[in-house]
Amino acid sequence: MELNGQQRIAAPRQKVWDALNDARVLKACIPGCESLTQDGDNAFDATVQAKVGPVRARFSGRVELSDIRPPESYRISGEGKGGVAGFAKGGADVTLIEDGDGTILDYAVKADVGGKLAQIGSRLVQSTANKYAADFFARFGDIVTGAVPIEEEAAMAAATAGGKQAIAAARAVAPADDKNTAHLRRLNWALLAIIVALIGFILLTD
Amino acid sequence: MSTPPTKPAVNRYFGASVTRNEDPALLTGQALFVDDLVLAEMWHAALLRSPHAHARIDSIDVTAAKARDGVLAIYTAADLGDFWRPAPLVVPPPPIPGMVFNQRTQVPLAKDKVCYAGEPVALVVAESRYVAEDALGDIVVDYTSLPVAAELATAASDEAPEVHEGLAGNVAAHVHQSKGDYGAATAGAATVIRRRFTYEHGMAHPMETRGVAAQFDRKTQRLTVWATTQAPASLRGGLATLLGLGERDVRVVAPFVGGGFGAKLLMYYPEELLVPWAARQLGRAVKWIEDRGEHFLATTQERGQIHDAEMALDEDGRILGIRDVFLHDTGAYNPYGLTVPINSQCSILGPYDVPAYDSTFTAVFTNKPIVAPYRGAGRQHGVFVIERLMDIAARELGIDRAEIRRRNLIAADAFPVKHEIMFQDFTELTYDSGDYQPILERALELIGYDKFIAEEQPALRAAGRKVGVGIVCYIEGTGIGPYEGARVQIQTNGRIAVATGIGTQGQGHFTSFAQIAADWLGVSAREVDVTTGDTDQFYWGAGTFASRGAVVAGNAVNQAAAAVHDKAVTLAAEHFGCAVTEIVLEDGVARRSGAPDEPIGLGDLARLANPMRGAVKPGTEPGLEATRYFGPESGTTASGAHAMIVEVDPETMMIEIRKYVVVHDCGTAINPLLVEGQIHGGVAQGIGNAFYEQLVFDNDGQLLNGTLADYLIPTSLDVPRMTLDHTVTPSTRNELGIKGVGEAGAIPVGPLFAQALEDALELPSRGVDIVEIPLSPNRLWELNSSEPSSTSDGD
Amino acid sequence: MMVKLLTVSTRVNGTDYKRVVEPRLLLSDFLRHELGLTGTHVGCEHGVCGACTVLVDGLPMRACLMFAPQVEGCEVMTVEGLAPRNSAPRNSAPRNSAPKNSTTDGDLHPLQAAFRDAHGLQCGFCTPGILMTLTAFLEANPTPDEAEIREALSGNLCRCTGYQHIVDAVLAVTRPRDGGTRS
Repeated sequence: MELNGQQRIAAPRQKVWDALNDARVLKACIPGCESLTQDGDNAFDATVQAKVGPVRARFSGRVELSDIRPPESYRISGEGKGGVAGFAKGGADVTLIEDGDGTILDYAVKADVGGKLAQIGSRLVQSTANKYAADFFARFGDIVTGAVPIEEEAAMAAATAGGKQAIAAARAVAPADDKNTAHLRRLNWALLAIIVALIGFILLTD
Repeated sequence: MSTPPTKPAVNRYFGASVTRNEDPALLTGQALFVDDLVLAEMWHAALLRSPHAHARIDSIDVTAAKARDGVLAIYTAADLGDFWRPAPLVVPPPPIPGMVFNQRTQVPLAKDKVCYAGEPVALVVAESRYVAEDALGDIVVDYTSLPVAAELATAASDEAPEVHEGLAGNVAAHVHQSKGDYGAATAGAATVIRRRFTYEHGMAHPMETRGVAAQFDRKTQRLTVWATTQAPASLRGGLATLLGLGERDVRVVAPFVGGGFGAKLLMYYPEELLVPWAARQLGRAVKWIEDRGEHFLATTQERGQIHDAEMALDEDGRILGIRDVFLHDTGAYNPYGLTVPINSQCSILGPYDVPAYDSTFTAVFTNKPIVAPYRGAGRQHGVFVIERLMDIAARELGIDRAEIRRRNLIAADAFPVKHEIMFQDFTELTYDSGDYQPILERALELIGYDKFIAEEQPALRAAGRKVGVGIVCYIEGTGIGPYEGARVQIQTNGRIAVATGIGTQGQGHFTSFAQIAADWLGVSAREVDVTTGDTDQFYWGAGTFASRGAVVAGNAVNQAAAAVHDKAVTLAAEHFGCAVTEIVLEDGVARRSGAPDEPIGLGDLARLANPMRGAVKPGTEPGLEATRYFGPESGTTASGAHAMIVEVDPETMMIEIRKYVVVHDCGTAINPLLVEGQIHGGVAQGIGNAFYEQLVFDNDGQLLNGTLADYLIPTSLDVPRMTLDHTVTPSTRNELGIKGVGEAGAIPVGPLFAQALEDALELPSRGVDIVEIPLSPNRLWELNSSEPSSTSDGD
Repeated sequence: MMVKLLTVSTRVNGTDYKRVVEPRLLLSDFLRHELGLTGTHVGCEHGVCGACTVLVDGLPMRACLMFAPQVEGCEVMTVEGLAPRNSAPRNSAPRNSAPKNSTTDGDLHPLQAAFRDAHGLQCGFCTPGILMTLTAFLEANPTPDEAEIREALSGNLCRCTGYQHIVDAVLAVTRPRDGGTRS
């Protein structure tokens, strides 16, 4: 799955870069992010609980940074495990470009899912990723520009985790799952949300 | 005792469209399938499968899973001890000179690494399948992913990641076969056609997924296994060896099986070994049923080949020679040897006179599920190549595509035809009998070929309709050895018991074999009880595959029934004190013809045949029973032609098949109704293969469309009503003259679609050839919109 | 771990059942393993193949997409409820020397008999689901033409027959004068 694009943030580049380095900011922007801990200079461990409608699941991932050139660009890559439902892995190249008094955030993401998630959900990953990225950027933009304080953003993120995705999920014609219907359906949809959360996370972590 | 005749005196059932004995049980939901089994104290198994296509296993932690309520046991490779080993080769490769073959077979549970997504890593046994699957979620496996060799062409390069260490280029096999001298034969050819063809055949997807249930009786030390296998006797032998049991202490039963098509043929599927092993280990009955999601990864499938093929012809369109080099995707392991690619290699010759042939293939390991036969077993790929080469040649030479086939079909007086290359049954590829011209003509007549091209098509095209016609020919090697056996017995209740070693997955053996026996013994086919697939009832056999059931087992039934007939009339003659020639078996009795003697019921005769006291003549065998084995010298060649008129919606590229014709020759037919059913079903699968079904893997070896919502099996709206006709050239390989028909419907549909759709969209006139299968509305759109010459040359 | 259990009271093929089950037990598993009615088969567990089709209050439903508690108070019909008598021995016709095909066998519903006569099944695994789909369909549309029959069948996958003989069976039982029974 590929996700390429640009987002303009109404804040100077250094500020954007600093926010990307701030674990608190990231935790607030990723819906359902339960924990985000730095491990050394260039790695983060995260647990994200995605909530899609009434359905919830936990996804654990690790990302690492490389090719770091502050405040311009870096590469981030990582892998996350979702138990029986599979895994996700991917990477992104992120570049910040000054644009007047704002910053253009350019991203090129390549992510793949594997296991059940790929087998059952692959055709939904792209569209869900797009929606999720948009959601993430909206929050990030709010925080960096100071429009919304971090605490409130974090609360909103937790409360509405995957809200839009729930609606998309209900409308999409998803095939019914196997024996652990409720459990796995939960995992599948949550994992889709988590993957994209992770991708968003990958994009913006420092 | 005289030699039994090969045909009974009266022919009531053989050749008749008798309705099936097994239907009432199936129709009322009383037939036993493996998942219907209820065994005392039965536990349920589930398997943890790798999500990675290629990865090292760093650790497996089953602590949490074991602690879950309702979990009985969890096993990984380490727990299997000596039982863990790569499975034996199911089919050794034929002894072709110069062949390279690197055997790598599957293991019961992955040990240090996994080679395809879906490979089993752990076995859970629990009180229910629900709990077992819950426990799967508790198991934590640490993988380190490795580079994946997914796509066929890239996997074949020396720089590709190695699926198996030490095999550069992932070479599983390299085979060269030839006849004649291609270079010499084709020097000065008027035309040489060269193309790259890619053909993908998909997954069988029988409606019943796989399943195994096992029970080890500690008191009798006997193991009973119920499995959806197509080869119960072979499974019995393997299990006995691997479990260290005597063969007579293992019973394998394939009860009613919901379709096979090759998917239930592999030995040994990991589950077929693990479940019996666990049952013995635990002293409990254990059952495992595959779910459809698992089936996509865990069950064998066919996939793709890439052919760089060329055909040289003279100016009259007669084939001078064919040369082909191809790659074959064999998946992560190759337990099925070379059956599939050798079938492809041999099928390229088709029903045509090909003086020189040079064929080379490389089978390539990939990090994907195992490739093993699926209805057609590689013939599809070969038939696609030859039929497309014929079509393209016809076009370039300005010859009608039916006409170019006429000019090249093997003549009726040329049989038997020996092709000098080796077939999958280890014998020289031989066509025993056939007459191909009448088949082609009849198919053309039924589809209305001439009239369509001359009148209907131009008129429809003028009205803006996209309609095309297709005609393809094929042969099919069927009825191969090694052998099958059958036992026929007249029971004391007057009913006939027939048993044979093959299994049944819907082919109607309970009826067709009954028909054979019924004619010999003068009873109704309804009074014959056929048992298949129970190794306690019949011990020896190979299995149901390669369109051989009716041919090989049917002939064994025939010989056994003939022998029982002989015993019965001999005993009846003694009973009546008359000559054997005066005895007639009919209506369930033995009667002395032309005499007023009271007839004796067959059951009573059977009782007489087993005296409890008194002396018998030396050499007498008790009962009215006989067991016979039949092993053909070589396979027998069926043949046919398919024709189709199809319309394409120019906006959606959806198709509608307006007419579909099959003319086939399967020699003598035991039951024409069943033969029709086989052809209908085969064509339906062929249509799926040509236009609807495709396994989509990404570059990480992940299957992206692993549900029936995404892998499209044809529905009643996609399969047309078909018109069937048949010709008969009896097989020279067996007494009954039977040839196989199980795979016929599925084999030539790919090239038929390519030809007819090219015609409908008038692609060749724009320089576009269809050189791939499967197609789809999307693909047709691309082809239809493409620039001229964008798809052709394979140089 | 305490799992909350539910009591399900339902009528299946005219018999009342009351069972205590986990809420997540699929209806297909309830029928097959709890009640022992194994005629309903499971082909995919994701609602596509139709092998598990049963009638719930007269409507064809995928039993693999329902939970057992959802049929509380409902009338369920499975393939075992079609024929007048439940069990049929393997060869049920009386001693008969003439090789003619059986017409309506007393143990079979006319639709089932038509399937037998037309060779509308091979492995038989998809058959119960198809019979139940057709039972509901023919109730609503007693004399369909081929196109309507194919449309009605399009939610049931069959991998063996290619559907033609199934269509023939339905035509034979609904339009005996026009239909194509084997002679």
